[in-house]
Amino acid sequence: MELFSTESKKIVTDPLNVNNPISLQVLGICSALAVTIRVDQAIIMTFAVIFVLCSSNVAISLLKDHIPSRVRIVIMLAIIAGLVSFVDEVLKAYLYDMSKQLSVFVGLIVTNCIIMGRAEAFAIKHGPSKAFLDGLGNGLGYGMMIILVSFFRELFGAGTITLPNGGAGYVLFSIERDVEWLINAGYENIGLLVLSPGAFFILGLVIWVQREIAGLEEEE
Amino acid sequence: MHSNRYTLFFVFIITVVLGTLLSVTKENLKLKQEDNLRADVNKTILRSLDFSEEEDNPWSNEKVEEIFNNSIVGLCVDSEGNKIDNVVLEEIDIEKDIERLPVYLKVIDDELQGVALPVAGKGLWSTLFGYIALAPDLDTVLGIQFYKHGETPGLGGEVEKEWFTNNFVGKKIRNVEGEIIGIKVLKGKVDDSKEDAIHQVDGISGATVTSNGVTIFLKDDLKRYEAYLNEIRENGII
Repeated sequence: MELFSTESKKIVTDPLNVNNPISLQVLGICSALAVTIRVDQAIIMTFAVIFVLCSSNVAISLLKDHIPSRVRIVIMLAIIAGLVSFVDEVLKAYLYDMSKQLSVFVGLIVTNCIIMGRAEAFAIKHGPSKAFLDGLGNGLGYGMMIILVSFFRELFGAGTITLPNGGAGYVLFSIERDVEWLINAGYENIGLLVLSPGAFFILGLVIWVQREIAGLEEEE
Repeated sequence: MHSNRYTLFFVFIITVVLGTLLSVTKENLKLKQEDNLRADVNKTILRSLDFSEEEDNPWSNEKVEEIFNNSIVGLCVDSEGNKIDNVVLEEIDIEKDIERLPVYLKVIDDELQGVALPVAGKGLWSTLFGYIALAPDLDTVLGIQFYKHGETPGLGGEVEKEWFTNNFVGKKIRNVEGEIIGIKVLKGKVDDSKEDAIHQVDGISGATVTSNGVTIFLKDDLKRYEAYLNEIRENGII
């Protein structure tokens, strides 16, 4: 197949919009709640998920004719867990600060339903290049959503926007530092947004807006 | 449908391949990972002792080692304040070993400029590991830094952030009688008009358990060093 055909393009762009793994398939919500407290963590998590998703999709797609269907879920899980541990070890050796910052989240990628979901729904039925594009598309769709959610949570919850930079992150914008008059006028951060329920509220709103834009309705 | 024999065979092969891949990766990266870990701990000690890296020029592992070797003296004491010789400091289990206590002295031009002590204890999910450094009066906090924890980022994980650690600088660990009482992490902000404010720091909202944990283990761990700290106070470095 052509790598740049309309069909390939659709595989990548669909998950960004009308078939977004988080807002429409509602997969991978668990980590979307956990890593969306700060923008920098969401960005780094996005890269890690894209890497694991693409490589697990390709690996499973290459093995698809040989995997016994009765144990396919176990095999997929083993491959995904192996890849995640591999990423974790490499990060610890070469990007120590980043691995420290991601801490438990790298391990948690194993339990991200999107990866298992794409393996079972797509990679096991399609060739490696399509599977790669599907991984890329879904990874980007996931990343787009968690970065969006983390943007609102960090801005209104903690009053800052932090970008990835070594261990501590680089504070791009801080209400306390950059918009002093607002603080003087009595502005306070919404602490609730930093807690898990805050993620649900934001995510709910995002899903609503996205479905509204995509023109989708629940089937009765 | 594949046969049982094939299924077992396939699972076996996958396990062996993945296992081999992972152990080879781990073996090859082990030395580098250990280097990083040691440099990170040493960096934590240096930072707590008020060394700071320039913003556009972060320390490499070698640089950390160089500064460390030039200005830090490590030694081991027991809970009575006596020095114990021939101990490899890196091998001491900081959380569990209460008989062998590592101490890092910042000595520049033969003058004691600070003392860094390891602290460790439970937060909400994990054990936090860090160093607290005291100024030569052995009362004022010079700095505190954490290098390892598994607390929720954005909540308990904020302990490693500058805004939190900076609050400790200049606080006192001893009460008027000279007894070690540690530093209390409050729930909410410190009221500076109160008398106790000098022993308190702002808490982390949404992380009460982590904050309480820090309060408790700081006090417990500092208490262990009380004998040694009093010893230096009276007789100078031993």
